[in-house]
Amino acid sequence: MAGKNVIQKILARSVGKPSVETGDFVHVRSNCITTVGGDGDGRGLGQLDPNAKPSVFDPQRIGIVVGHAGAGGMPRTAGNHRRKMRQWAETVGVPRENIFDLGSQGVEHVIAGEQAWALPGEVYLSIVDGHTTALGALGGFAVALSYGAAEYITKGYTWIEVPPVARITLTGRTKPGVFARDVYEYVLGQIGPNGTPSQVIVWDGDYVRDLDMDARFTLCANALFSSAWTNIIEPDDVTLDYVRTRTNKALVPLYGDADAEYEQQLRFDVSDIEPQVVPPPERHRAAAVSKHAGLKISKAHIGTCANGRYEDLKLAAMVLKGRKIHPDVMLNITAGSTAVYRRCLDEGLIGIFMDAGVFLPPASCGMCAGGKNTPLADGDVCISSGTCNYPGRMGSSKADIYLASPATVAASAVTGEITDPRQLL
Amino acid sequence: MGQVWMPDIDKTMTGGAWRFEGTLDVDWELCPYQASKAFGKESARKLTYIERMEALKMLALQPLDPDFHKKVQRGDFLIGDDRTGYGHDHEHACIALRGAGIGTVLCEGTNVNFRRNSIHHGLPVVVVKGIMSAAKTGDTLEVNLVEGWVKNLTSSKTLTFKPWPEFVLDIIRKGGLYPWLREETPATNQSAVA
Repeated sequence: MAGKNVIQKILARSVGKPSVETGDFVHVRSNCITTVGGDGDGRGLGQLDPNAKPSVFDPQRIGIVVGHAGAGGMPRTAGNHRRKMRQWAETVGVPRENIFDLGSQGVEHVIAGEQAWALPGEVYLSIVDGHTTALGALGGFAVALSYGAAEYITKGYTWIEVPPVARITLTGRTKPGVFARDVYEYVLGQIGPNGTPSQVIVWDGDYVRDLDMDARFTLCANALFSSAWTNIIEPDDVTLDYVRTRTNKALVPLYGDADAEYEQQLRFDVSDIEPQVVPPPERHRAAAVSKHAGLKISKAHIGTCANGRYEDLKLAAMVLKGRKIHPDVMLNITAGSTAVYRRCLDEGLIGIFMDAGVFLPPASCGMCAGGKNTPLADGDVCISSGTCNYPGRMGSSKADIYLASPATVAASAVTGEITDPRQLL
Repeated sequence: MGQVWMPDIDKTMTGGAWRFEGTLDVDWELCPYQASKAFGKESARKLTYIERMEALKMLALQPLDPDFHKKVQRGDFLIGDDRTGYGHDHEHACIALRGAGIGTVLCEGTNVNFRRNSIHHGLPVVVVKGIMSAAKTGDTLEVNLVEGWVKNLTSSKTLTFKPWPEFVLDIIRKGGLYPWLREETPATNQSAVA
């Protein structure tokens, strides 16, 4: 009999059983804080009656983050919805220190990482969105509850079907100018939009081991685009160092057995991957930057749950230092969290961005959250480190969105056309 | 749930097939995200669930067939490829399909977020391997969700699928997660826990 993969082990521990099998229906519990978006109606949470006790199984294990609208959001979102969520939090008893409202706001998934709300070996649930998978970089089973949030919030468990697991091994070293975002887009292009249907991807291999945490979050942020439920990187010293500087909670990481059961096992050598660009409208048709180089752009965006962390913005600064944004282009750089913004200030990145002529809104999901922040207009051509390129994602449905790494976005913003970042790095 | 129509999943359901090839992204083909926002959280007036369902119906499958909402009949089946419900875990598409009267989504493949969101909105989604070659638009289908089979009455082909467990069928019967939670008793809850 095959051994157990890491997901089977995490889920078995969560339900208090010696083991679970793929396809089992189980009700999982979580030891982690569950993240709730603070600026919408919380994916159906609005239907809960806060006065019906007990309406929340454990308010201590709720975290609220204002992210999708941030300070640049629609008035109703940043005003009414925030207030509604604060009132709900007050009524049910969510601790104040678990609330990241305007002033400490940011992308929910970025703050959840910074706060180590997701933990190695644990089930981490979020009511925010499908990019909850970014937290799989911390070595837990990280999934979005979406509209199913009410069951968990009221009862403290949620039903799931134990998912099949795909192992994707990445080996080799990337060329200069090629980053985790490029590697992810390349792999997605190879495996396609249904490459890992309803599966959980386990990323491993020497390439993954050499990545810092910010790059690991990037690799894990977009798993849904190959139809995966989520993804995970089994914890190592990089993970444990990151988590232990952020929480004193006891950690018992879990690892798959050497002979674990996998639905499929794939290997990719990253050595020959070029910087990638994903043209609209399909999400998975990545190509080398050379295929789209020279295309004129009008807007550019760096940030989001995929690439809004400090190392991403540092990369942008390396390209932008001493340069100016092309006069026909607006580059919006939105830090993924207030803490990221603060570090950019401390390390001199904000000065570089301002000198280059970058538009710098406060931390949030930026332009990627449905165009709440500097939305695209009809006819705009945008290059973005955001997550999606379907029509209307960042504003007008009559605008084109190209996706790329922060380095490629920054280089393109300088030249005014899609540009290989290696020319400016 | 008020007066919202719900499929009677304890009987064999009969309806017409609507077959769409390729990616059915929740945010584009199934229900364009940007347009849907007019009927969502930022609409001028907070819509009720039923009003939102009625409004989003107009956008169901709109990029592929602008008149879909006029042609689809209550209880019809949506037939999709292996990328049905692709992309984000946005659930507006599930509401749009229910509003359009789709009785069940039968697809070659989907993802967990779309499946769970649909069930939680009372919309059955099942993976039926071979359905794309076994049904075309205009065929009449019979579907039995409890027993796990679909029969094409036009071609006489029958396919089977793994039925959902009883507690999931019960969520669908109740019209979704919220009505299910309101009605759920401790006894049914215990039986649902594995």
